[in-house]
Amino acid sequence: MSARLPFRTIAEAGEELRAKRISAVELTKISLKAAADEQPRTNAFLAMMEEQALADATRCDAELARGESPSPLHGIPVAVKDVFSTKGTKTTVGSKIFANHVPDHDAAVVERLRAAGAIIIGKTHMQEFAYGITCNNPHFGPVRNPHDVSRIPGGSSGGSGAAVAAGVVLMAMGSDTGGSIRIPASFCGTSGLKPTTGRVSRYGVLPLDFTLDHMGPLAPTPHDCALSLQVLAGYDPRDESSSRAPVDRYAPPAEPSLAGFRIGIPTSFYYEGLQPSIARALESLQNKAEALGARLVPVDVGDIAAINAIGRVILLSEASAALEPYLHRRADFGADVLALLDQGRLLPATDYVNAQRLRRIHMTKFEAVWEKVDCLLTATTPTTAPKIGQAMIDILGKSEDVRLASTRLVRGFNVLGLPALSIPSGLDGEALPMGAQIVGRRFNEKTVLAVGQALLS
Amino acid sequence: MDHPQRDYRKLAAALAPDIPAAELDRVVQPLESLEAAFRPLTAALADETEPAFTVRLSTEWPA
Repeated sequence: MSARLPFRTIAEAGEELRAKRISAVELTKISLKAAADEQPRTNAFLAMMEEQALADATRCDAELARGESPSPLHGIPVAVKDVFSTKGTKTTVGSKIFANHVPDHDAAVVERLRAAGAIIIGKTHMQEFAYGITCNNPHFGPVRNPHDVSRIPGGSSGGSGAAVAAGVVLMAMGSDTGGSIRIPASFCGTSGLKPTTGRVSRYGVLPLDFTLDHMGPLAPTPHDCALSLQVLAGYDPRDESSSRAPVDRYAPPAEPSLAGFRIGIPTSFYYEGLQPSIARALESLQNKAEALGARLVPVDVGDIAAINAIGRVILLSEASAALEPYLHRRADFGADVLALLDQGRLLPATDYVNAQRLRRIHMTKFEAVWEKVDCLLTATTPTTAPKIGQAMIDILGKSEDVRLASTRLVRGFNVLGLPALSIPSGLDGEALPMGAQIVGRRFNEKTVLAVGQALLS
Repeated sequence: MDHPQRDYRKLAAALAPDIPAAELDRVVQPLESLEAAFRPLTAALADETEPAFTVRLSTEWPA
């Protein structure tokens, strides 16, 4: 049996640290051992940062001894996806091309985590170039789902999902261009937050897509995501998309109540084509929301299939532009990513520009939703985790491409730039995790996190 | 507005001749499906519709 962290949440671990019932060094050593024990099973990490983690933990203990604890993440073992630059530590972006890349600077997210006293124990495994959802990486092997190692963890932040689900760390950073935080959260049974566009700096992350990339945490609970976002959010002049919008206080209230909340239930698209167990789990969450005082409001969300098509045109075009400098090294790319990059090369520029024009129309139209409701409740993924190597999946008798099925409920909110949280919604008959998604208006992460935490209470 | 389906094999030959013939199916088929879903949407575009992200020079730029 692998070691796991002895605490279920960041708040619980923080309380023990501040009460000095455990030291940051002790906690870090448990986390490092858990990572080592789990690695042969899940392959969740690409690199460990043991020496620096223990040095950082020693410094945290000295600060705690002086009564200093600058943030809720102080002394908490965390991990970051290998897309985030770490000064002096290899940052491969899951690719052969960057296999020996050692950045000379930290990503903004890494800077903020360190400044808050979080202990970064390592770099989590991922889809090659964060471009895809299987984490079946041709260069560094597949990441495996801790709930069933024959299945994918989702992606592209699959190592982060696996590390949190396996109890190795209490938070792991991911990036999300078309669901890459929320899909692994759903398949691995964790929470995962894609914040509003501009809320968390992208500085120090190799872009996959200049207008769809978002950075955010995967953690056991929405409350943990909230504590993490408190540290991560804020203006960064080094990121052109970074927002000066005020940073909220994100921690959900201790008392789970949804009195006064209007929770939108989309009347089209989001409740169609779901695995029956996932539909039943959503129904249970709706009942719980009502029991906690929320009002369920049927709401028209417009043409989400169109928004998904727009998102795919934008992603194919921007990703191929971003990675074009490396495309002469075809043999160094995996087949899945290469096929996507080649697709982007053949799309006309007119399609890309028109996709960005249509995006504006849909962003404007979608604002009407927030006149009727405070948030939306949907499934995150229509299925539980597929098998490693599985290309097609059967949903209600219809065969769907695994990649398109897994992204169809999440991609639209990257296009719209809205905050979206995945929460665990239970286990299906095969003991596989299922996920539900809560979406809010821009910069209203506070509502999304409060609703998510209440529904998990 | 009717659009003739693009011939992505000819486009590949002209724009990306380095794509091996054996890999073309993995490239062409998804593009044909995406085109069928996407191009009809452009009928909704008014002449004055701007892209979601536009260039706006301000006194703050460049920093």
